[in-house]
Amino acid sequence: MADILGVVFRRFAPGSGTTDLVFPSGVEGNTLVLGDVNIRRSVLFLSAVTAATDLGLKVLFFTQTPFQSLPVSLRASVPGLKLESLKNVKFVYVKTLEELVEDVASLHELASDVASPPSLIIVDGLERYLQGPLQDDPGPVAHVAALLHDTAAFLTQIQQSRADGQGLCRVMLSFQSECEGSRDSEVPDLLLSVLDRYLQVRCTFEEIAGQNEWQVYLSDTCPSSAHQGQQWHMGQQAGGVLEFRPVIGEGQQILDQRDKSKQGNESC
Amino acid sequence: MDSSLLSVAEQLLKDLQRTYSETNKVPDDLLIALRFVFGPCALQALDLVDQRSVTSVSSPSSRKAFQVLGGSGRLYTCFTSCHYCPCPAFTFSVLRRNESLMCKHLLAACLSQAMGLCQQEQVSDQQMTHILSGQTEAST
Repeated sequence: MADILGVVFRRFAPGSGTTDLVFPSGVEGNTLVLGDVNIRRSVLFLSAVTAATDLGLKVLFFTQTPFQSLPVSLRASVPGLKLESLKNVKFVYVKTLEELVEDVASLHELASDVASPPSLIIVDGLERYLQGPLQDDPGPVAHVAALLHDTAAFLTQIQQSRADGQGLCRVMLSFQSECEGSRDSEVPDLLLSVLDRYLQVRCTFEEIAGQNEWQVYLSDTCPSSAHQGQQWHMGQQAGGVLEFRPVIGEGQQILDQRDKSKQGNESC
Repeated sequence: MDSSLLSVAEQLLKDLQRTYSETNKVPDDLLIALRFVFGPCALQALDLVDQRSVTSVSSPSSRKAFQVLGGSGRLYTCFTSCHYCPCPAFTFSVLRRNESLMCKHLLAACLSQAMGLCQQEQVSDQQMTHILSGQTEAST
């Protein structure tokens, strides 16, 4: 499983370090994040910080409401955090779907001027932009998801035409649907199926009742993929620190995938 | 939609590209295959190709997109990296019902690209932003 969340989970697994972290390449890994609104926001934030600090990537973080406080204990989660590297994260506050679409559509205008265009585009809480009649209309959801996909593909092309040709751009989008949390539901969720068309990896957080812990499922929505799903366990420690552990039986596969992603041999 | 059908469709477009570049024609067996895989919208898409309704738009930033002029005179913007069209048929048949691979506009864009029959147009980066955000899809 090659995606930015895989990097984040390994980064915050017990006993892990930052020295062997690499941004996966060679496979499309745009990610849909599903789960409780607070935990989704924390994980998106942690992903942004990891990408900016450990991987040195530029991050664009679209959200409707500013962060009033850090969603996780940043210094505790990232010891030795260099505040300088947080400048790599640019927060963009957009109120409406139209503003979000316009901002994403204009990113190509910056690509020629900026030395290094963003490598990670995060959209926090797409459902908040879908009020009223938009809630049941798959058209606007498809438009914004396809636009994000196309923008990431374009920025990847730009980055690979520069320097060492190793750059790429990924999308992370969080969404809360009506049937979220009921993985066995037989009722297909139209908007989720639309998002799955454009985002190749789905990450679902399911809370374990009353334990401040979550089961995390990573699955590949790419039809031709040979990857199997992965399961992690996430716990929130005192002070808000998040910790991830691979579920036994899946860990070896995760380590194997890490080795493969280093070699850039994966294909979707 | 079955992923194997998507693979068949991709192979079909590759075959079309190769055959058309060699002969400048679309043989009957390929037309039948297009009709079989894409359904009734194949003929409508070929009509759009005949009318040179597909324009490949590019801007100085190197960003590209397709604009397809529909029968009603409305322009539809399709992306180059993934399947999307703002037309009602795409929303209904592809997104809601999942019973078609593409609408006629998207298929026309794929066919025109494979056959090298896209019109070419240069726009400014700002115009490209408007195109990508769907602000230029009103009637021409």
